[in-house]
Amino acid sequence: MNKMRFNILFGGSAGQGPNILTSLVGEALVKQGYYVFYSRDYQSLIRGGHNFNVLTISDERIGSNDSKIDLIVALNEETERIHKKDLSKNGLIIKAGENEENMYFAGAVFKILGVEFKILDEELKRLKKFYEENIKHAKAGYEKEKRSLKLFGCNGKLKSVGRFFLNGSQGTCEGAIASGLDIYYAYPMTPATPLLFELAPRQAAANFLTLELESEIAAAISAMGSAITGAKTMTGTSGGGFDLMTEAFSMAGIAEIPIVFYIASRPGPGTGVATYTGQGDLKLCLNAGHGELFRVVVMPGDSKECYELTNQAFYLSQKYKMPSIILTDKHLAESFYTFENKSKLLPVEKSTKFGRYNSYEHTNSGESTEDAEIIKKGFDRRMKNERDVSIECGKFEGIKVHGNKNSKNVIVSYGSTKGAIIDAIKDTDCKFVQVLYASPFPTEKIKKELSGAKKIILVENSSSGVLGDLIREKTCINIEDKNKILRYDGRPFLGDELKEEIGRKMK
Amino acid sequence: MKDGNSLETGRIPTWCPGCFNFQILAGVKKFLGDELKGGKKKDDFAIVAGIGCASKIFDYVNLNGLNSLHGRVVPTCHGIKVGNPNLNVIGFAGDGDAYAEGMEHLIHACRYNSDFKYIVHNNQVFALTVGEPTPVTEKGFVDKTTPYGVKFMPINPIKTLIAAGCGFVARVFADVAQVDAVLKEAMKHKGFAFIEIIQPCLIFHADKDYKSKTYDLQKAGHNKSNFDEAMKKASEWDYNGLTDKTKIPLGIFYQKEMPVFEEQFDILKDLKRKKIGFGDVKR
Repeated sequence: MNKMRFNILFGGSAGQGPNILTSLVGEALVKQGYYVFYSRDYQSLIRGGHNFNVLTISDERIGSNDSKIDLIVALNEETERIHKKDLSKNGLIIKAGENEENMYFAGAVFKILGVEFKILDEELKRLKKFYEENIKHAKAGYEKEKRSLKLFGCNGKLKSVGRFFLNGSQGTCEGAIASGLDIYYAYPMTPATPLLFELAPRQAAANFLTLELESEIAAAISAMGSAITGAKTMTGTSGGGFDLMTEAFSMAGIAEIPIVFYIASRPGPGTGVATYTGQGDLKLCLNAGHGELFRVVVMPGDSKECYELTNQAFYLSQKYKMPSIILTDKHLAESFYTFENKSKLLPVEKSTKFGRYNSYEHTNSGESTEDAEIIKKGFDRRMKNERDVSIECGKFEGIKVHGNKNSKNVIVSYGSTKGAIIDAIKDTDCKFVQVLYASPFPTEKIKKELSGAKKIILVENSSSGVLGDLIREKTCINIEDKNKILRYDGRPFLGDELKEEIGRKMK
Repeated sequence: MKDGNSLETGRIPTWCPGCFNFQILAGVKKFLGDELKGGKKKDDFAIVAGIGCASKIFDYVNLNGLNSLHGRVVPTCHGIKVGNPNLNVIGFAGDGDAYAEGMEHLIHACRYNSDFKYIVHNNQVFALTVGEPTPVTEKGFVDKTTPYGVKFMPINPIKTLIAAGCGFVARVFADVAQVDAVLKEAMKHKGFAFIEIIQPCLIFHADKDYKSKTYDLQKAGHNKSNFDEAMKKASEWDYNGLTDKTKIPLGIFYQKEMPVFEEQFDILKDLKRKKIGFGDVKR
């Protein structure tokens, strides 16, 4: 790999604090002007087990980790044993020793990377908690570590202009608050809970409310109750929790209630794999709710897009009084991305006045009806709404085209695979069409980008390639099974591996 | 015709002729009419209903609200109350709706103690789906779906609600004056109020002279602030049919003031103080 792509793995058991350590190093390097991407691999347990984070550093925008690790930070011996095989040639290991505290490793990492100690000092001051103790350990690590790669010679040479280092949940949180969120309802479920973790501590300062109720059903139904009083309301869960919310979702369709659903996927079906990633819920989002109802489904690919598309989800649901879904997954919700600036958001007007709402087909004044003419009018009104949304969405980026825009080799994907694909196709003859809206589906834009392609490759974190089905349904363009790169082991795509895989498919 | 201040929707009720739901509707309208005469505005109230014969009341009372889903009256009321804590929210559901699919929410409502009033029309049967047994139907009840009879004892909702910590537990008969009176008492109570109305179904669970078996707890000198006394009174009738000895106590079984949900969140207290809902908050 490019020497300006450097992978550090922080491993340890749950409770040893690899997250604080990884974030600290990441934040410091972003401030130094580097682009950092960091993902988490953790198990569904509270203490013990084996967790690790991979932090990738570059001097250009990145969105993935690699399979080869340049520096292993082993908070315990198991980490070294498990990950030694992944070490690159000339790769280094900071070994677990006796009585070595978390921040000892931070000191050692900074020394190896060749970053001045005062930068670490600043970060520890920012943390505030346990500063005296932390600085002592950090200093010990910095002094004891004799190896130095001086890879980065940074120390102020690269200037970061207030870059953001946020994970997908934080992007969604910022987007929701900036869109004027009033109430967020939830029931805990990984990996959607990190959004609640972000929102809950900010409610007093930003003057909104988060509530955890007895079930996803209660959360979604209460959200409907609040939304009809005019509150900007959002509820969030993972696929399994959304299964329980679908009756409320369906009601939002007929009662014309503006409401935003946040879904962070993990592999299913059933309880599936709680703390790993997957993209198997796209059809759930498109088909949730009995009867015929229209919904907006947005699919951000990084934390900046989480910010922007959350805003669009609020905007559209308020304006057209319908449910919107923000579809993310564990990899996006919990990985940290570096980006330069936040986009300007759309102002979201509150659309709803309290009145008479009904889950039955109803008259204009809100009474239930069995009248043939009114039933048909209800469907017609909602279908017109659907057309209006589709027209309005034409002005949004329904898709993004990355890479060589004239290439005949086309990759299509959506969501959290974005980062790995962009990293993988650097310096190759490839165009990447990233789909941002599953509903309304940007059919014409996609047709235009895919027609004339020599080869169309689908990349997806699922076993069936759901986006491929959707593209065929909407555009009649078929992506052959042999051109699908599907990963369904709960792990995200890695930049270097995906590059090889795409290379093989292009042959 | 509907006008802005009228409680009438102009709809003619589709309940069966003579249905006790007419008594309940009249009682509710008497209560609301008196509230409006007393200075409250129609927009100070919200109505929520579930699905079933009882919930048809949504179509006959012209208040803002949501005719929600079966089993979900409680979280709908709670959500409206959170959205605008100034609203007086009243929810209506049948026994199937409240005690089958809705039971989980009901238990939690006691714990949250959000300040809304929940009225359960108990006719001990799923009437709108033509007569299947609910969780409060007596043992041995036979219908098309249960030809060998119900095998289980009914739930005693009064005991369940008192045990769950509900701060206002009452039962009345489907009678205009009783409904009006208990709603007035419930409205004075700060917090979640549970009212069950015995509403015999003329078609699928006929009135076996329930009314003659009833007596008034308050007239009998019941101490509604005593938990043990309340549980004792709640146990007097087990919902499992009527015998010569059956006594059905009516009135307020238990009442206790407890911290109210909306008063425990600064942001909701603030909305209440400013007399606005989240919908009025400019950002």
